[in-house]
Amino acid sequence: MTAITADRLGKTFTTRIRPTGRFSAARSLFRPELRCIEAVKGVSFEVEEGELVAFLGPNGAGKSTTIKMLMGILQPSEGTARVLGLDPTRDRVELSRYVGAVFGQKSQLWFHLPPSDSFRLLGAIYEIDEDDRKWREAELVERFGLAPYMDVPVRKLSLGERIRCELAASLLPSPLVLFLDEPTIGLDIVAKREIRQLLAEAARIDDTTIFLTSHDMGDIEKVCKRAIIIHHGEVVIDESMKALKHRALSLKHVGVRYALPVDLDLPGLSPVKRTTLAASYEVDTRKHSLAEVVRALASRGELEDITIEDEPLENVIASIYATKSGTEAQAFGSQRGETETRTGEVIHE
Amino acid sequence: MSRLQKTLRKYALAASTAMSERIAYPGNFVGSMFTYALFVFIFSRVWAGAYAGATEIAGYTMSMAVWYFIIAEIPSFGFGRFFSTLSRDMKSGQIAYLLARPYDFIGYSMAEKLGGSLMEAGIILAEGLVVGLVLVGLPPAIASGYPAGSSSLALEAARSGFLVVSLLLAGALNFFLQIALAMTAFWLEENEAFFWIFQKFALVVGTLIPIEFLPEKVARIAVWTPFPYLSYAPARIMVAFSPAEALSLVARQALWVFMALLLARAVFASGSRRLSVNGG
Repeated sequence: MTAITADRLGKTFTTRIRPTGRFSAARSLFRPELRCIEAVKGVSFEVEEGELVAFLGPNGAGKSTTIKMLMGILQPSEGTARVLGLDPTRDRVELSRYVGAVFGQKSQLWFHLPPSDSFRLLGAIYEIDEDDRKWREAELVERFGLAPYMDVPVRKLSLGERIRCELAASLLPSPLVLFLDEPTIGLDIVAKREIRQLLAEAARIDDTTIFLTSHDMGDIEKVCKRAIIIHHGEVVIDESMKALKHRALSLKHVGVRYALPVDLDLPGLSPVKRTTLAASYEVDTRKHSLAEVVRALASRGELEDITIEDEPLENVIASIYATKSGTEAQAFGSQRGETETRTGEVIHE
Repeated sequence: MSRLQKTLRKYALAASTAMSERIAYPGNFVGSMFTYALFVFIFSRVWAGAYAGATEIAGYTMSMAVWYFIIAEIPSFGFGRFFSTLSRDMKSGQIAYLLARPYDFIGYSMAEKLGGSLMEAGIILAEGLVVGLVLVGLPPAIASGYPAGSSSLALEAARSGFLVVSLLLAGALNFFLQIALAMTAFWLEENEAFFWIFQKFALVVGTLIPIEFLPEKVARIAVWTPFPYLSYAPARIMVAFSPAEALSLVARQALWVFMALLLARAVFASGSRRLSVNGG
């Protein structure tokens, strides 16, 4: 069953242009100059119940705005949204019973009080019976390893500990859909790994639909099964993580180190970095057979070491972000997609 | 537990949690308490100068004027910061969390903000009673004496009851007016000026001086505005108590609270459609 539907969802904000010049500030009081900013332009997608979706895009792409429209906090300027069969704008309060959220840069916990107090209040806000709340809280405390922090004022917790508590607090009312807006922002590697594990576990145990925005590729790769990339307010890519990763696979990074100096230039392929004994190559497998490249390198001299690495997913997404317009990004996405459909076998020069 | 009980528990727990958050740092109150005591002391000296050679001004003795100020300042110190906390929530984007919850936003905010401030208002009231006793002695009605017999006790109890109700209504009126002003942020990026003007009106009309001290024409207009019901009503009940006048003042306060509630709801209904949340 469909959990989230966005149908040509758009949001335009009107902002006042700050005037310059001697009398323009006074003039703008009566005749303000306004500028319309299309934060989200006709975004459409569907998310099935229990899906784990990464909603990606560079800063200012419209990710948070879309999430807030899906939660009913912002009213769309155009298009419609349905979440769990409800209209978020009209049924915001009703929807909030079934939907949870974690905004990585905001907190829903009381700063000077221990998390246990916030959990108790959240239980009351969601009208959970006290016994059920205690049972659910105990389960989350166990699963998230929160026992040492539940009675410590939130201000004394580290960021990682706090985010774990925030996540558990969002899961207290057993939401059917969980929106996560950059939940691992500012966390160290260990804390990020913990949060990702807990998120994946939450989705598995509670069968929660996860809709996650993040700039961290690790979050996306470890937690999500599908990626929607939004750029300049438009959806430019909507496909499985597997397919997105496949985009990255066509480019390999090959590193070699020889025992003695050799000629490092191959026909049609020059190193991107080189020293006397070592070099690294970017091999586009659509142009060069990887096996032939490796054979050619091995035949040059005595190899001391060789490494073959995939292009990081981050680079693929960064190249999509780097495009100037949504249409350009869409074209970029489909162009790369097309070549991949053609590949699978290696294209020789 | 019935649905109504669950709803009431939600708001009661919001108020008690907010109160716990406030008293987590008792030191937070020290600044307010010191400033309040200083203000009362300075004003008692100002009135001492003003009353030199006069026993009464506009029906108020010096003791009445000082006690008036002591009570009239309580809403300012206890209930004067709703605007800034609400505006901060809106400007920081925290409103995203506040709106995505299964409750009535205005009702919940009132429970949390007004409930949380009751402790501070209570502490300031207790301090005011002590400071008043030290500076000018017992409050006027007690000093001048009630008719002998049990009625004096009943009147004193009635005065205390009306005073508490009037202070709570002043808190509610303050809350609804301030949340309505704070929610102008739905339209305007900068709305501090509105609150500044509101504060100044509240200060002049009934806080610094009783409205009887204002020019007659101004006083006649002032009673038709909500400002006297923010501080004048409880202060008047304290210094010149009569059950009939107290009932009239409290009834007018309740009416203004109701109107301010409607205003806040109207601003929210219209403004929340225009919300743009800051900070990602």
